[in-house]
Amino acid sequence: MTVTTPHYGSGPVVWAGIIGATCLLLFVFQKMLWLVVPFLLALVLYYMLFPPVQRLVYGGMSREAATGVVMVGFLAVLGVGFTLMLPWLAAHLVDGQASIERYVQGGLKLAERSLQALEARWALLAEAEVAESMVQRLDYMSGHLSRHIEPLAMGIAAWTPSLLLAPFVTFFLLRDGQRFKRFLGSAVPNAFFERTLYLLHEVDRTARAYFQGLIQLTVLDTITLAVGLWAMGFPGALALGFICAVLAWVPYVGSILGGLLVVLVAATDFPETPAMAYWAVTLFVFARLLDDFFYMPLTIGKSLHMHPVVTVVMIFVGGAVAGVPGLMLVLPVLGVVMVVGATIGEVVTDPRLMARHYHARALRKQGAGVDLGL
Amino acid sequence: MVLGLFRPKSVAPRLERIRSLFLFVDLTPGELAIVDGLVHERPFLKDEVIFDEGDDGQAIYIVLEGEVVICRQGRPDDGRLALLGPGTFFGELALLDQGPRAAQARAASDCRLLVLFREDFMSLLDTQARIASKVGRQLARHLGQRMRVMARTAETCQHL
Repeated sequence: MTVTTPHYGSGPVVWAGIIGATCLLLFVFQKMLWLVVPFLLALVLYYMLFPPVQRLVYGGMSREAATGVVMVGFLAVLGVGFTLMLPWLAAHLVDGQASIERYVQGGLKLAERSLQALEARWALLAEAEVAESMVQRLDYMSGHLSRHIEPLAMGIAAWTPSLLLAPFVTFFLLRDGQRFKRFLGSAVPNAFFERTLYLLHEVDRTARAYFQGLIQLTVLDTITLAVGLWAMGFPGALALGFICAVLAWVPYVGSILGGLLVVLVAATDFPETPAMAYWAVTLFVFARLLDDFFYMPLTIGKSLHMHPVVTVVMIFVGGAVAGVPGLMLVLPVLGVVMVVGATIGEVVTDPRLMARHYHARALRKQGAGVDLGL
Repeated sequence: MVLGLFRPKSVAPRLERIRSLFLFVDLTPGELAIVDGLVHERPFLKDEVIFDEGDDGQAIYIVLEGEVVICRQGRPDDGRLALLGPGTFFGELALLDQGPRAAQARAASDCRLLVLFREDFMSLLDTQARIASKVGRQLARHLGQRMRVMARTAETCQHL
């Protein structure tokens, strides 16, 4: 007797389930960001610290000791770095408000000059006194900046305790990750065990690839922007490029913030040459286009084995379902759900695996009642 | 306390059991602990299918207790190829050449198996040169023995 076991792929029903589950998870995650954000940070730390832990374990140290050594080392480096940065941070925090006001004023002047130039060409705009009313409105908004800063500072203060969860979760992921994997595997029936091992491996690979892709994307963005800004003569091009690249972790919204930052710097540091601000905007739009349609599908999309069209469409769907957190979380969540959904789809639609499972269940039932005359 | 560092490390009973298995017989206690972190222990009942002929090979199996029959698909009696006891392993061919399983494996009695997932096994061979050479040597011995048995069987058939 030969049993043919055809290969079962993900059909449209499985894909609909994957997209539905991703949207549902994003909606739930958005409601419990205080837990999701530290957990995400913990995952980044986990994939960063896992190789040194593994090296120590392979060197003969127990996993518990290796995790302790690496975590203590990491926290020590963090503490030393923070202590060294403290005088610089303190100095910048003192004149931070003055710097922000200088850049905001630079931006306002650029807006005023641009609108006046438009009014000079379009009589209709001049009659409507667009420049004056817009500048007054912007001036009013920037005058009330302090009102926005206070709730922002309060928000950061409220978030700090939950962020402390990140190293705590990282420690246990590093120490007990393998045990947890075994615990999950032990709950799976024998018939599905090999597929489950594969599933767990793929989830791990997907998450690792995503975070590695994110780091690659940040490096590519930083280089593109830094080279462009440096060629235009911007001061601190590398730092500015890096800040914009990190802001781009939040798709679209982060890009707008980054663009605004570059324009403010251009308007303030080159007040006599407004063309610099326009060139900066052009560079930024070019970098965004490269990022969203070329770099992102190449790095993160490729690392998740996702089609570029699916990547772009799902970013829009994530934003629509869960706003800014949805934009940030959609790709890693989709990557993991895709692997889980495809594997479960393969298992439950494979009649041979299901038959083996029912057979094993019948054997266990029979064995359990063998002395009971059942 | 200090002298304790130079004493040979005592091996936990579970590790001792793993060391008694053919594949890991040459490993030191430290190396056994690494392997122990990667293996999964699974119970199977008599007649339960472990894997089917044609399945994707995702793991290597090592018999801890009981017996396993390797046979043609669905023919455990008349299509029997081998009967494996404690200490032996199977499923290594699909793991090495990434091909489909060449035969069906069924529990011939209630048994306990150790399962080592393909990716864990491969990363162990990639990252741990010493473990890789010891396990690789045992694998080569095992495959050599199997080839000898097959050659002898073929010779016997010719004489008949």
